[in-house]
Amino acid sequence: MPSRALAARRHARRQRPFHHLFVLPALAIFALFVAYPIGWVAYTSLFAVSLHGVSHWAGLGNYRSVLDNPTFWIVVRNMFYWALITIPVQMVIGGLLAWAVEEYTHRSRALFRTLFFVPVITSVVVIAIVWSNIYAPYYGILQQGLSEIGIHFQTALLGSAGTAIFAIIIVNVWEWTGFSMLMYIAGLKTIPVQLLEAARMDGASGINLARFVLVPALSGVNRSLLLLGVIGTLQTFPLVFLMTDGGPDHASEVFGTYIFRHGFVLGQTGYASALSVVVLVIALVMTLLQIRFLGSKFSLKG
Amino acid sequence: MPVLKRGWVKLVLVVLGVIWMIPELYMISISLRSPANAFDPHLIAFPFTLLNYSIVLSQNPLIRYFDNSLIVTVATVVIVLVVASLSAFGISILRLRGSGLVYGLLLVTLMVPLTALVVPLAILLGQLRWINTYEGLIGPYSALGIPFAIVVLKAFFDEFPREIHEAAVLDGCGAWQLFRMVVLPTVRPALGFVAVWQFITSWNEFFLALVVMTRSSMKTLPLAPMEYSGMYMANPGALFAILVIIAVPLILMYIAVQRVFVAGLLEGAIKG
Repeated sequence: MPSRALAARRHARRQRPFHHLFVLPALAIFALFVAYPIGWVAYTSLFAVSLHGVSHWAGLGNYRSVLDNPTFWIVVRNMFYWALITIPVQMVIGGLLAWAVEEYTHRSRALFRTLFFVPVITSVVVIAIVWSNIYAPYYGILQQGLSEIGIHFQTALLGSAGTAIFAIIIVNVWEWTGFSMLMYIAGLKTIPVQLLEAARMDGASGINLARFVLVPALSGVNRSLLLLGVIGTLQTFPLVFLMTDGGPDHASEVFGTYIFRHGFVLGQTGYASALSVVVLVIALVMTLLQIRFLGSKFSLKG
Repeated sequence: MPVLKRGWVKLVLVVLGVIWMIPELYMISISLRSPANAFDPHLIAFPFTLLNYSIVLSQNPLIRYFDNSLIVTVATVVIVLVVASLSAFGISILRLRGSGLVYGLLLVTLMVPLTALVVPLAILLGQLRWINTYEGLIGPYSALGIPFAIVVLKAFFDEFPREIHEAAVLDGCGAWQLFRMVVLPTVRPALGFVAVWQFITSWNEFFLALVVMTRSSMKTLPLAPMEYSGMYMANPGALFAILVIIAVPLILMYIAVQRVFVAGLLEGAIKG
């Protein structure tokens, strides 16, 4: 039997040059749409490019003006708010929902799984417009609904510098919690039934069961959601663009709207390129930090 | 399980589920309102009218946007499925030299935020003369979808029994036949999962569509509300009818295939 396997392996090795055609399409697409753009943006970030296409060497000038711009620091602050609120909240609510749906429902299980996932499938454009209406002063249902239970307020949540970013963050939580839930459901399925039964026999329940059995067993899901949450934070665009366009006065600006404004509205390609590189570097550093401290495996298993 | 506790948990689930659905119900509710009660600050406002649907379906090139979305989405799904399954096969089953490097590069792509790519992609598509073309969206959507598809498919391919592979090779089965006849049929749940997820993300994508499709006749469905928000300022019901037309078909499609989708995800989780 081993010799048969050996022969097969030798046979497989003989055909290798042709075999590389299998990965060629993916590599070509990667080179054209990912590697080339990254190289281009890094190179262009070193030039001052004007609307008329005239460009001259600027060295690190674009980066200096990025860092000197107070709006950039508002963007950084908003990204911190975004990541520090959306990631844990979506994980906790999503995890609890997963546990409740899997453990306490039977006939209605598919219904609940689908119900909380519907916002994930709903077009983000639709979500942005519907929630703008929900938040609207005077005719929005949020203000009306809260006033009916005795909470009165007269703020335009999206129009005030102090509340705009948080109002959009709530929408993001509504949109993506169902995704976390489904990931945790998948994670729960990987826990061996015997493990749960053994834990229960030993008297583990409630908080203890969660702390000593479920959370460690779900560490793969936690890692994946953390990673996806960071990338998702950095690519936030449609919700903010459509609900506030980064306003009022840049108060809810995020990298997406900031790069769009400089790259496509103001035509400052060099400056927008430097911003893009900054985003790439942040993504890279965050990914490396996670790999360093949490391990590299991208998986739903613990 | 104590019956009382089960009851409480279910009650909380039902209440949360209802709250979760309010925005979707609100959307449908506004789409059924005439201008007279469009600004009523309640979730439901009578009387209902279907007039808005006949207005938007008769006046606007919504069908054109729908077709554009469908062409871009279906092409992307097909390309992602073909390219990703070929690569995952090469990496996982054939174990090509350099597989580790290729897989590493693809994982890096997974970590690149679209925000950072949108400016150079717009320049690249300009150089290719792909602005306002279907290729202009199909290309980048595929490039951004393929890495995730490969990660999912590789997890399934890794489970493929080595003995079957070796037996097939000894029986004179070439790599292509092995792929087509033996391996691909065994990973159908994964292909279904990847197809559904790719369909949803491409159908709903907004940022690149906004940048690439500037000509009205080429716009995809997610760009439609911006086109008409000014026109329907005084009649939000019509704008919300467009939103329903954008969102509801995809939700219905998901409900129809959610069994396949969830099964693929759960099976992948156990393998991955």
